[in-house]
Amino acid sequence: MRRSTGRILTTHAGSLPRPASLEDAVEQPGADPAALGPLLSASVAEVVRRQAEAGVDVVNDGELGKSGWTSYLSERLVGFEPQPILPGQTMLAAGQDRAAFRDFYDEATRQGQLWYRPDSRLRTPAPPTRWVCTGPVTYIGQAALRRDIENFKAALAGQDVTEAFMPVAAPASVEPGRINEHYPSDEAYVYAIADALKVEYETIVEAGFVLQIDDAWITALWDRMLPAVDVEAYSRYCLLRIEALNHALSRIPEDRVRYHICWGSWHGPHSTDIPLKDIVHLMLRVKAGAYVIEAANVRHEHEYHLWETVTLPEGKLLIPGVVSHATNVLEHPELVAERIGRFAERVGRENVLAGTDCGLGGRVHPQLVWAKLEALAEGARLASTRLWSTPNA
Amino acid sequence: MKRSTDRILTTHVGSLPRPPELLEAVAALNAQDGTPSEEAQQTYERVLRDSVANLVRRQAAAGVDVISDGELGKASWATYILDRVSGFEIRRDRIQPLVWLGRDRERFPEFFAKEMPNALTGAPTEVCVAPIEYRGAAAMQRDIDNFKVVLQEVRVEEAFLPVVAPASTAYNGINEFYGSEQEYVYAIADALKHEYRAILDAGLLVQVDDAVLANMYDHLVQTSPEHYRKWAQLRVDALNHALEGLPEDRIRYHICFGSWHVPHVADAPLEEMIELILQVRAGAYSIEAANPRHEHEWRVWETAKLRPGQILIPGVITHHITTVEHPRLIADRIVRFAKLVGRENVIAGTDCGFAQSQGTQRVHPSVMWAKFEALAEGARIATRELWG
Repeated sequence: MRRSTGRILTTHAGSLPRPASLEDAVEQPGADPAALGPLLSASVAEVVRRQAEAGVDVVNDGELGKSGWTSYLSERLVGFEPQPILPGQTMLAAGQDRAAFRDFYDEATRQGQLWYRPDSRLRTPAPPTRWVCTGPVTYIGQAALRRDIENFKAALAGQDVTEAFMPVAAPASVEPGRINEHYPSDEAYVYAIADALKVEYETIVEAGFVLQIDDAWITALWDRMLPAVDVEAYSRYCLLRIEALNHALSRIPEDRVRYHICWGSWHGPHSTDIPLKDIVHLMLRVKAGAYVIEAANVRHEHEYHLWETVTLPEGKLLIPGVVSHATNVLEHPELVAERIGRFAERVGRENVLAGTDCGLGGRVHPQLVWAKLEALAEGARLASTRLWSTPNA
Repeated sequence: MKRSTDRILTTHVGSLPRPPELLEAVAALNAQDGTPSEEAQQTYERVLRDSVANLVRRQAAAGVDVISDGELGKASWATYILDRVSGFEIRRDRIQPLVWLGRDRERFPEFFAKEMPNALTGAPTEVCVAPIEYRGAAAMQRDIDNFKVVLQEVRVEEAFLPVVAPASTAYNGINEFYGSEQEYVYAIADALKHEYRAILDAGLLVQVDDAVLANMYDHLVQTSPEHYRKWAQLRVDALNHALEGLPEDRIRYHICFGSWHVPHVADAPLEEMIELILQVRAGAYSIEAANPRHEHEWRVWETAKLRPGQILIPGVITHHITTVEHPRLIADRIVRFAKLVGRENVIAGTDCGFAQSQGTQRVHPSVMWAKFEALAEGARIATRELWG
């Protein structure tokens, strides 16, 4: 994995806005998936080009080939059967933050503001479904994955970027909302998911890309389990899932993997987010060469102090969010540079890539997504000038 | 003015969300074609009084030390003054472009079309057609009375009422009456002085709100920096004229860059404004500092200097973000300012008001109260660190 040798490299957390033409095609009821093909590859080419133009060094395909960061796996895994549930019973619509701010959540949900909808249109309503595991979990998404890889490779041709990554979900983030009725234990179930995902992980690395493992639920479940859980019990819950992830990563060089945690990208108070200090030991246990974490929003910005006492293992990279999906206000490049500087001082300039809190696609207006990536690149340039004008301490 | 003598005090910028029952009472008033029934008027007065009382108690409970009446008696932070002075008429058929939004309208046209369409269409013009005289004594006195009566029952350090500055008065307006821009702006200032004095006479702090002084920057600098400077200097001079003879120590001056949830690339850099701001004859300056467009500007205070006795009220929580600031982040921000200007010269504040007009809310009220509680907690953490 490329590191910030000589200057601060930039990247982001994954999802990017779908170009309007793709959005229209995907949203058409009964759209023919085959007809989407050329539009999808052209759209991937467009978002790769725009990332390069915005000054992003380590780019991805915007996750355009997926319906959502974990929901896409419903199309790529077998062993599950859909069962109808009421919307109120979903994991997302629960938790202590929701209980404490019920009026806010009701209003934001009604107004469509909890997740940003840039075109004011509701997405094709997802069927009120939960998935129940009733047989062996198996990966069958090879064709879709191959299509995404080929689209991305074609899009990268001729683009001046430093490196390329593809995000996928972690076992711990696939499991929530999928009930096990087949495997004899949690452990057997989680490892079965991990084995299925392993196919996707290894295929991406074999294709030459950096693999990003997305694991928002490993943090966000804390709020959903409160108050019935304490840090120790929660750590035990997470540890099993992280060992399963490491099992899925066992044949992949650590240096080709980045691990992303965030606390959920909905525009909420986030008053109950688990502190990074309580889970950092779990994060660092993941067999990854880089850790991509939220650090630019007001609930987590102070956590850079953690790196005064926690040591980033030798050779690893930290990719803190220095711009955020949580606000329309554009980060000033000076602030971006200041944030980068705080991390560089604590873990070493060559060990920091400048990133985003979470995926920006679908969280702020598309124009702001690109403006934020430009602010990120500008801030990284300012930070590089300052950090390399003095000898590294 | 109380200062952070042995602990960091907390305050905010003034406007707070109107409760639903007040909005209903306002709607009933306005529904009567300009001549509301006596019953609607009485209901409004009663609901307003009760709403102010509730809001004052709630601020005290949240741990805010220097509180306001939430500006509940006003239609909006700036346009209310058009109901309290003579001389203006609204021309609905004459649309003014919203130049105070600056060039963000050109930088982000698709964003504005979706999220703030009137930014691209404009607003009716407020035209000065006759002498500007203050006529708002009764409304002002009502606001003062509503506030003071409930202040007797809560424990807070101090209380303030926000009022508008000359530069921010009739900001979509033009002058067709006065012979010169200077006469026009000073006529506004003379009228506003009545409000400033009434508040001070009532024993309350005055906060002069002046977002538009900063908002006009991006539009006017397109002509030249001197053009903006000349425009702004006239208005700062007029404000100081209005403040002349009033006790500086009882006056706070609030500058912000607009509370709208937009990119804010057009915002004036604080370093371009600071010399103008420091000219204002006020004992405290309340300035945005907690949102990602302005957070880095704490560095301005490495060179800018408060005069002896003055207080800085930086925003350490913001109305721009629904996520609630972590108290540790708030404490970090407070300590950063305290190290630059002295702990006793910092009061922890907010970027801007949370409800600039009736019906507006920048975050959900429940989130705002959580932010205020985080503000108080952050101030306690900072106090421990700064006073050992």
